[in-house]
Amino acid sequence: MAERVFHKSILRNEDPQILAGKAQYLDDIELPGLLYAAFKRSDYAHARLKSIDVSEARALPGVIGVYTAEDFGDLVKPGPLQVPPPTAIKGATYSSRTLMPIAKDKVRYSGEPVAVVIAESRYIAEDACDYIYPDYEPLEAVIDLEKALQPGATLVHEDLPSNEAAHVVQERGNYAEAAKKADVIIKKKIYVDRVAAAALENRGIVINWDEKAQMMTIWCGTQSPITLRNATASRMGLFENQVRVITPFTGGGFGPKINTSMPDDVLLTELAVRLNRPIKWYEDRRENFLATTSERDQVHYAEIALTKEGKFLGFKDVFYHNSGAYDPYMMTVPLNTQTHTVSNYNIPNFYTEITMVFSNEMVVTPVRGAGRPQGVFVMERMIDAAARELKMDVAEIRRINLIQPDAYPVSTGIIGQDFVEGVLDSGDYPTALAKAMSMIDYKKFREEIQPKARAEGKHLGIGICTFTEGTGVGPYEGAKITVGGNGKVSVATGVATQGQAHYTTFAQIAAEQLGVEVKDVKVVTGDTGAFAWGAGTFASRGATVAGTAIHLAAVKVKDKALKLASKILETPESELELVGGYIQVADIPGKKISLGELASMANPMRGTFPPGAEPGLEAVAYYGPPYGATGAGCMAMILDVDAETMKPKIERLVMVHDCGIPINPMVVEGQVHGGIQMGIGNAFFEKVFYDETGQLLTASFMDYLFPQATDMPPKIEMGHTEIPSPLNPLGIKGVGEAGAIPTPAVFTQALEDALYDTGVEIMESNLSPSKVYSYVMKAKGA
Amino acid sequence: MKLEGEHVFNGPREDVWEMFYDPAILASAVPGMDKLDVVAENVYEGVMNVRIGPVSGKFQGKLTLTDVVEPENLTLTVDGKGAPGYGKGVGKVAFIQNSDGTTTLKYDGDMNIGGALASVGQRMIDSVAKSMIRSAFETLDKALEARLAAKKTGTEVNFTPPTQTEFATGVAKDMVGGFTKVPELRLILYILPVVAVLVILALTLSK
Repeated sequence: MAERVFHKSILRNEDPQILAGKAQYLDDIELPGLLYAAFKRSDYAHARLKSIDVSEARALPGVIGVYTAEDFGDLVKPGPLQVPPPTAIKGATYSSRTLMPIAKDKVRYSGEPVAVVIAESRYIAEDACDYIYPDYEPLEAVIDLEKALQPGATLVHEDLPSNEAAHVVQERGNYAEAAKKADVIIKKKIYVDRVAAAALENRGIVINWDEKAQMMTIWCGTQSPITLRNATASRMGLFENQVRVITPFTGGGFGPKINTSMPDDVLLTELAVRLNRPIKWYEDRRENFLATTSERDQVHYAEIALTKEGKFLGFKDVFYHNSGAYDPYMMTVPLNTQTHTVSNYNIPNFYTEITMVFSNEMVVTPVRGAGRPQGVFVMERMIDAAARELKMDVAEIRRINLIQPDAYPVSTGIIGQDFVEGVLDSGDYPTALAKAMSMIDYKKFREEIQPKARAEGKHLGIGICTFTEGTGVGPYEGAKITVGGNGKVSVATGVATQGQAHYTTFAQIAAEQLGVEVKDVKVVTGDTGAFAWGAGTFASRGATVAGTAIHLAAVKVKDKALKLASKILETPESELELVGGYIQVADIPGKKISLGELASMANPMRGTFPPGAEPGLEAVAYYGPPYGATGAGCMAMILDVDAETMKPKIERLVMVHDCGIPINPMVVEGQVHGGIQMGIGNAFFEKVFYDETGQLLTASFMDYLFPQATDMPPKIEMGHTEIPSPLNPLGIKGVGEAGAIPTPAVFTQALEDALYDTGVEIMESNLSPSKVYSYVMKAKGA
Repeated sequence: MKLEGEHVFNGPREDVWEMFYDPAILASAVPGMDKLDVVAENVYEGVMNVRIGPVSGKFQGKLTLTDVVEPENLTLTVDGKGAPGYGKGVGKVAFIQNSDGTTTLKYDGDMNIGGALASVGQRMIDSVAKSMIRSAFETLDKALEARLAAKKTGTEVNFTPPTQTEFATGVAKDMVGGFTKVPELRLILYILPVVAVLVILALTLSK
């Protein structure tokens, strides 16, 4: 038997290349005759663009061209929807106003492009922007979500009757009836602010149009090369196979890189053809903050109905979701909020209402967590408010309301981002809670550690929250696996990689079936020339959906290889095994054939070929789940707060999670660690802040605070629970967003507990020392 | 951004008012100011160049005075824009004659800024702007002193305005220790003169 490589922490295939500086990133790509692009962006959040004078910029030496909306003709129209509207939800209303490639007549967010410069160098291109003079007539900026909906409010899109972008109501049971029977009803307003994905590597694109071959090659760190290819081809009247999108090594995605038909890819593909020269554009950090999408901004009016024993009877959540200036991504984010608000608790009656609002801010699309952190934050904060009211322990009130392990599959009655009713496929939430409590010594903390700390005047608080993570949604992914004449295995899939270790985990899946070394599996992701089908990397679906397709393709190749080897070795298939790159007869040492040799034989160059046979040791497979696999977990945290400066220090952080069977537990830990770092940032440090005129005041890392290594807990204590998903043969669930989801809720809970003597209640995330201080002052009546 | 405060000039109200009448004096109080032209009654235009760091380019400011009650008060609207962004503000300025012969200038204004000024320089703008107003008043104090002395003796006004470097150094001293040692923060010093131009213009200029 071959040694198992699936479900094993092995070192990453890609690291030697990355660590030695030999990995090719986008900016490493240089082409003969390369030109550089820069965008002139609006300083105003909302203004009429009366005219724009580009004559001075055009005259600068080294400037190839300066283009405004009028130079792009028919191209200047709203782009395609990235995600369809939720027509599956009864009564849903929506207005789609998708991104404009370049502003014409009106700018709707600060940073919207009004002109693009193409020059011989980036320096010249950027400098030329200073010689472009737009003439604006400023308009009032729409910033406050609730004011935006009032009659007479300034309109972001003047062809619409209001700033309402969409409205969705979903209900299971009947909240109003449940509320009548409740002993206690608690109502709160809860606010979650906006964060940037802030990937280490900004967005960028390199485009080459080969006129003779009539072939366009695009290098781009996109999360969805297939979408980028499809949109480009159809816009330019080309076949899909005339556009090849290649994703080089990419320094982080975290959501925003899923977007295509952005100003850059629309305008620059056109200009590359028009000028017949390759073009490179690379965003700088300020542009990234201004004009790459971000997420979270929601205002919730939540209500929980309980019995006096703390049993949940119903939950009501009416919320406003900031869509930004356009809504190309439709309702993915707020629908995720709806599906993740009450998913792991038994709440028979749940009413949830979304009003999505246009504003003069950058467009909102998913950022790691994608609506889930808001849902979890709202629910967990409400549970804490209930525990406080009922004088119950925060862990106990959760424990008695969790869905039990024998209940699966659980239909939630709420339609999610994949437009089917959410179903919890598997899980064990009570065990996760118990495990987290035991790992953090919850009982001991409450009974000994905390009272002692308080007696010493210390402010030590604990938080413990549970969550689910809807992952691995459809529609589908595919993979092609080929055994080479060199005996090594090539895997190609349509999803793109931004650092998730796909080159290792996908290799493990294939190697497990084909009996080769993991390092001998070469994985190609996100190259439409290598694999032309799929949807992309989002919703924690790469490992689950593409991984399953890879597994299925590997099984097919294995069957094919065994069939052929059985003939050659004159041994029944059942007596053959794949080990160390060979197919061998189990009991006869030396009676074997290498996979490479077999691959060559499967591709004969002369002679005959049997009817119905397919050449090579190659297979393609596709996988689409009926609905997503739901991961889950419980996080606990101990926070030491300096009650004078309000500086928190995370003393301990425990994360118990379930992502089914982890392909590589080390990689899973890395994913969770990164998510937690983002979650800590979301809870306390990071905030994308727009002022009342729509100016972004946090467009550099001086003002947008990232948690540093010193802000992280000394150690992240991980507890794995492995409940296999019944939805796929490997039993896997996604985990890419897990860390980011519960952290703000747990952090805020621990913060309140630490500041127990002030009586403070904090119904807001994206905090800061001064914000906490103002809450404390308010609680003290100061 | 809210701006309010007051400053006491060591001279009679009429002289203070008259000093503001001279665009050259005001231009000299503002670092980087190329010129300040009267384009119509109660309408001025100023141009300055900022060429340091990533924030560079021409910055043009237009100033309009309304509700002018000489020598008591006026309302200023300032509107400036350029490559580094834009600023728009409205300020009320009152000149109060004190019994000891001095003049108190009270200002109360509101300023919106946008573009790189807002998105890169926001963190420091509030405090640095206030500091720069103070520096500008110091310059104007000296200018007033020189004008009063010249008036007394009937000679030429002898006044040399501070250089841009001196001005920036003065502001730096107002900031926390070590401020100028951090290169990223030093950048702010160069962004802020642009803001200061608008602020000071808005607060002190009259016909």
